[in-house]
Amino acid sequence: MKSPRPLPPVPPVAGQTLDAQLHLLDRQVLDSDGVPVTTVDDLELGAAEGAPDLGPEIPVGTPAPVLTALLTGPVLGTRIFGGRPPSSRLIRIPWTDVASVGVVVRLGVSGQGLDADWVERWIRDKIIARIPGSGGRRDPR
Amino acid sequence: VKRLLGVALGILTAIGGFVDIGDLVTNAVVGSRFGLSLVWVVLVGVIGICVFANMSGRVAAASGRATFEVIRERLGPRAGLANLSASFLINLMTVTAEIGGIALALQLASSVNYLLWIPLAAVAVWLVIWRVKFSIMENVTGLLGLTLIVFAVALFLLKPDWGNLASQAIPAVPAAETGATYWYFAIALFGAAMTPYEVFFFSSGAVEEGWKIKDLIQSRINVLVGFPLGGLLSVAIAACAAVVLLPAGIAVTSLSQVILPVAAGAGKLGLAVVLLGLVAATFGAALETTLSSGYTLAQFFGWSWGKFRKPAEAARFHLAMIICLLVGIAVLATGVDPVLVTEYSVVFSAVALPLTYLPILIVANDPQYMGKHVNGRGVNVVAMVYLVVILVASLAAIPLMIVTGAGA
Repeated sequence: MKSPRPLPPVPPVAGQTLDAQLHLLDRQVLDSDGVPVTTVDDLELGAAEGAPDLGPEIPVGTPAPVLTALLTGPVLGTRIFGGRPPSSRLIRIPWTDVASVGVVVRLGVSGQGLDADWVERWIRDKIIARIPGSGGRRDPR
Repeated sequence: VKRLLGVALGILTAIGGFVDIGDLVTNAVVGSRFGLSLVWVVLVGVIGICVFANMSGRVAAASGRATFEVIRERLGPRAGLANLSASFLINLMTVTAEIGGIALALQLASSVNYLLWIPLAAVAVWLVIWRVKFSIMENVTGLLGLTLIVFAVALFLLKPDWGNLASQAIPAVPAAETGATYWYFAIALFGAAMTPYEVFFFSSGAVEEGWKIKDLIQSRINVLVGFPLGGLLSVAIAACAAVVLLPAGIAVTSLSQVILPVAAGAGKLGLAVVLLGLVAATFGAALETTLSSGYTLAQFFGWSWGKFRKPAEAARFHLAMIICLLVGIAVLATGVDPVLVTEYSVVFSAVALPLTYLPILIVANDPQYMGKHVNGRGVNVVAMVYLVVILVASLAAIPLMIVTGAGA
């Protein structure tokens, strides 16, 4: 059996190292109240602060890209079947909203206001809350 | 005393909840055609479901993560989606079979055509899911399902030749059957005993009831005592069929034939009790499978789920279950025989077994999820042996189905 060529060692970094595939992708996302929001369907990487927008050619010495957002929604379809939705159609949860990463990804904000939660809210308001006994309308008028 | 009562209640509901339409039909069919020569499969299946239900319960208690979240996280989106599609469709088939089972049982009790009972049964299932507390739902259906013990009572009242019955329990292909049908029904019986929805339901139920590690002892007792006793109930169903139907040359094709031996052994009173048991067992299983279809979808896509939340706080979860019930009604409205749906659903369950059980085994060994509660070596050895058995059964199921013409 041929042993694979050893990879160059990872440069030392301060703090916890997260493997995108292992620790982020496909993990459950909970909001600050512990309510499930979504699953991490994909990740968005952006240029590091101060770095110029890059074309296909990446010059040597460019700072490494940084994780800017967790993505959800239709992007799951393109991740499975290939392709790439236009950037304007991505549903993002900004990385700055993430409070901690463990077995689940916890957000520091409530899921109520997030774009990522709009389908849930729509189904709740248009369908489920209209059925008696759903507990959705505390103030029936 | 309260704790003891809790343990007793847990065991009783585990027994009552073990038997569903798949177990009822498959055991009766097997008993009426093969006598007790396939009884060993029930034993193998019960040990398997004990091992894996226990494991999924431990994963849920240690990490708070239910089975399908784990499947998605471990298999990634592509294999996870393929797994979801297969598991979900088979589960939907089981939902359909269970609702058909409720309707057939009500038909037997009322002489009103089962097609008229189907919408009522589905609405009743939905209402319970919509409003009733999880623990009450579990305990009531489980306790009422216990009335199926009447199969065991009827077996004694039939006064069979016990020596002859015991000698049937040796694995052997009866003269009237071929080897292929024997193994086909072995797989069906295995699938009925180990149906994947039980694991989805068990692990999600652990999250619903907020199990912690200290609750695991009780759940372990429930599983290790309740499921084997439930398996014994399955054997009693098969034995009843073997005593009454096998000598008469009646192969079971309908639910009325399943309960025929009870009527023969325990009379009108027995019949009344078994009808109650049939309705309770199929109703309980319809609840569990419908919830399981919601659980699998919600956990894969990361939706908010659970009966511990108000329906408005888990909107997509509840909408998904409503749609599943509607699909079940639509399928049954075509007039397809629910018993036939059941027979196919248990075989397809056997096909899908590795999809559920492999990811659970992997995660149960992952320290990030489990901390110090990872699998012990003994559990892993047993689980690996079962994985081989499951894989063989899964691969052999479809070819055997084709060769035997679905066991005809």
